[in-house]
Order: sequence, then structure tokens, then C-alpha cells
Amino acid sequence: MSTTPDKKRGAVAASRSAASAAQPTRSASSGASAQSIGFVHRATAWLAHNQLVAVETLLTLLARPASSLLTWLVVAIALTLPGALWMSLTNIEQLSGNFQQSGRITLYLQQEASVAAGQTLLQRIEGLEDVVDTEYISAEQALAQFSAASGLADALAMLAENPLPAVILVEPPLGLTAERLQQLLQQLTSFHIVDSAQLDMAWLERLRAIIALGERLIWVLGVMLALAILLVVGNTIRLSIAARVDEIRVIKLVGGTDAYVRRPFLYTGLWYGMVGGLLAWLMLIGCWLLLKQPVAELSALYGSAFELQPLSANAALVLLSGAMLLGWLGAWWSVSRHLHEIEP
Amino acid sequence: MSMVRFDQVGKRYAGGKEALSGVSFELERGELAFLTGHSGAGKSTLLKLMMLMERPSRGQVFVDGQNLNRLRAGQVPYHRRKVGVVFQNHQLLFDRPVFDNVALPLQIAGYSPLDCARRVRAALDSVGLLHLEGRNPVELSGGEQQRVGIARAVVNKPPLLLADEPTGNLDPELSAEIMDLFVRFQQVGVTVLIATHDIALIERMGKRRLILDHGQMGGDLHVDHSG
Repeated sequence: MSTTPDKKRGAVAASRSAASAAQPTRSASSGASAQSIGFVHRATAWLAHNQLVAVETLLTLLARPASSLLTWLVVAIALTLPGALWMSLTNIEQLSGNFQQSGRITLYLQQEASVAAGQTLLQRIEGLEDVVDTEYISAEQALAQFSAASGLADALAMLAENPLPAVILVEPPLGLTAERLQQLLQQLTSFHIVDSAQLDMAWLERLRAIIALGERLIWVLGVMLALAILLVVGNTIRLSIAARVDEIRVIKLVGGTDAYVRRPFLYTGLWYGMVGGLLAWLMLIGCWLLLKQPVAELSALYGSAFELQPLSANAALVLLSGAMLLGWLGAWWSVSRHLHEIEP
Repeated sequence: MSMVRFDQVGKRYAGGKEALSGVSFELERGELAFLTGHSGAGKSTLLKLMMLMERPSRGQVFVDGQNLNRLRAGQVPYHRRKVGVVFQNHQLLFDRPVFDNVALPLQIAGYSPLDCARRVRAALDSVGLLHLEGRNPVELSGGEQQRVGIARAVVNKPPLLLADEPTGNLDPELSAEIMDLFVRFQQVGVTVLIATHDIALIERMGKRRLILDHGQMGGDLHVDHSG
């Protein structure tokens, strides 16, 4: 290698200015005072570095969307699954709330009970505490309604006697506790001309049990998919740590703290979570748009005005912040596992 | 109080290799000394102990009055900010320009961008590379890269500057220029310790020599500054 005039010039310049550049060191004889920076200054620097790193890491991710896309999509899909379940359950709960209003008890009277006896019972039931409304349907009325609704009028006319019992419909007040409802049911069954009582709520109970099961399922699924997000973000961060080994080594060498080294990776994890969460939210909106019309048509067929509701703003916020937290945790987990392996 | 004091320091690596044993010496503030010895004599280990890249197995190391054995892991980064290091392979980052390489210690220490820029330019000026601040280190010659490494080591104005074979890859003329730079930093009060095997160069410079031999201090040649 030959020495160029340029290098010579550099060396001369060096000899001139070395003294001036390093001058303050002489006065700072303890050395430490040259580096000691006040607490306020440190806090300001910490904030400034956080802002800088936050923006830089986000720009880095957005500048190379292709390489980040896979991680984003995995996070998004892992969030969309429990999110969609959650949305469905919220809707089913709302639907079951509508049905609760029509919950009532059907009392089947014994075949031999007379109309007069039925009327007497009706009056007694009307006097009960937890009864809002009652209706007496005689055996003849029941047969007439059934033959009209079923279209089996001819066949029914051939029967020697009416197979249907008389019925009393009892409507309990809204929001009656299950215990009081059970008591009422027992009381009604104990009347001697009552053959059997049927609580229309029974299927509602089953629905509630299914919803409870669904909620549990969301938790199980959610925890497993949250773990998946941690692993995926953690692995992505591990790769980016591996790609920056030289930089980390130099930073540690010139006095970078662990927090300083960790910071860009934690923000990267946060952004992975945030973008993944946003994508998941968009996917859920997409699901809602796709299903809204068919659900409305189906419920119209059942004579219901039920409409599929999208994820509420609160739920979307929970989804997004949860995603960011998971991304951050995944990064933290990865960084704390791999950072100490890199020492200068 | 001396800037560096080694007190019966021994270092045995995990494999059982005895890198240093019973090493004691002191470096006064503002002193420049060379650390010499054959390959594997323990020069790099000795420098690493001062940087806390390694911990001693026995004995104590004091830097700037601080017993390094007493520093917890969390305090190590703050200790390193007081010690500038120059490596044979200069450890520059090729994904960013010269300016950013030199600015790194200042960014870590939390200097404001304005203050940072001023100090980086001063440091680059001191090694004669101000005109190259926007270039990528990979475009620079070996000597220039080494000077960028020196600028990064002194930009934070550390009281102690260590160099591990800083002229190892350079021809004699460039080596002499680099050594001149170290002398100039010494002249403004920086304590400098340079590990090298370039005996001819050392003898011409007439400075103190610490000689390591198989992990032991084999000689400490003080040279009068009259010559």
C-alpha cells in the first residue's frame, strides 16, 4: 500500500488538531466528570432515544414490508381466530338475550280435567306472586290451532276423540332468578289437575352452557395462540439479533447498557404486534362484511330483526393493545435469551 | 493516584490456560506506555481485564481509582465509557457512514444531536479525516479505517486509551503516523497503553515498555523523556 499525498495531508491535519480535540480531558482530571451527565439530562436523553428508536424501527419495518409480512400475517391470523370466536359469542349472547323475553311456562292439564276446573286453576295461578300473564287454551282451541297450523285437518277429523290436553300458558316476570323460576315451576306442578309443566327456558339454559363452553374455548385457544405469537415474534427477533451481532458487540464495547441494546428489538416486537393486530382487526371487519348479509337473510326467515354486530371499539382496542403487549413480550423473551451470548 | 494499577493479577481461562499470573504494575495519569511480548504472552488478556471484557481469577485491577472487582455487571457499561479502545481490526460498522461510527459512543452516552455533531467533527478533525465523514468505512484504506477507530475511541474524551496491535496491518510509514496520534493524545493528558510487537517502532519512540513473558511481567523499562 502506498502513501498518497492525501494521507500525508491527513496526518498533518491530525497533528495540528489532536491537541485541540482532546483538550478538555486535561481539566477533567478525574475523567469521570467529563462523562457525568445530570439526571435531568439523562432522562431527556432516555426519552429522546426511545422516540428515535421507536420511529427508526417502525420505518425499518415499513421500508421492508416483504420481509416482515410473514410475521405480521402469522400474528394477524393467530389473533383473528379467537377474535372471530369472540365476535360470534357476543352476537349469540345478544341473540339469547332477545329470546329470554319470551321465556314462559306451559302447563299441560290432565285429559279428564273439566273446562271449569281449568278456569278455576287459571284464577288461582293469576293470584300467584311471580306470574305476570296467563292464558287458558282449551283442548278444543288447541286442536283447532293445531289442525290449522299443521294442515292435517282431515286426518284429525277422523280421530274419535281430541288427543290434545288443555293448556295454561304462564309468563313469569323478566329477569326472574333461576331459583325462583324453579320454585314457581314446582308450585305449578303441584296442582292436582296439572299433568306436566314445561319450562321453555330449558333450551336457553343449554344455549347458555354452550356459550360458557365457547368462552372457555376462546380462553384455551387464545392462550395457545398467544404462545404462538410469542414464539413467532421471538424467533423473528432472534434472527434480527443474529443479523446485528457486530453492532451489538461494538455498542457493548463503547459502553452501551443492556437496556440500550434491547430497546430497538423491543420496539420492533411492539410494532410487529401492532401491525399484526391492525391486520387482524381488518380481517375481522372483512368477516363481518361477508357474513352480515347472509345472517340478516337467515334471521329474516325466522321472523327476527337480528343483525350481526361487528367487534365493538372497546374490543378492537383490547385486541390491538393485547397484540402490542404480546409482540413486546415475545421480543423481550428473545432478547433476554440471546443478548448475553453476545459479548465483546 | 495512578490511572491504572494491577495488583498481583492472575487470569486462568476456563480451559485451564494460565494467561496471566502475578502481574503488578502502575500507569500514572498522562503516561504513555507500550505493552510488548511474544504472541500469547497475555497482552490482549491484560487489556481485556481493564475493559472488563474478562474478569481476573486472582488479584485486583484498579482503573481511575476504581477497584474493578467491585463493579457489578450493570456498572460495566459506565466503566467502559471511561476507557477508549482501538483494535487491530478496528471493529467499525460497515452499515453506516464514518460520522455515525464515531458518533456511536456519544449517542449511547446520551449527548444531544447538536453536541454530538460538534464532538464527532472535532474527533475526526483530530485524526485528519474530517473530509471523509460521509463515506462508508468500507471505502477507506486500512490506515484511514484505523484512524476512524481512534476517533471513535477518543470522541467521548476518555481519560484512558487502550490500543491492541493498532498498527498490526499497516506499513511502517502509516504505523508511525498512528503512533504520532497516540503521542498527541498523551500530550493533552490522556493515559495511553498500546499493546504491540513492533519493537523497531517502540525503540524509536523512546517510551516506557512493559514486557510480558508467558503471562508474567518480564520487564518494565522506564525511559527518560530527555531523549
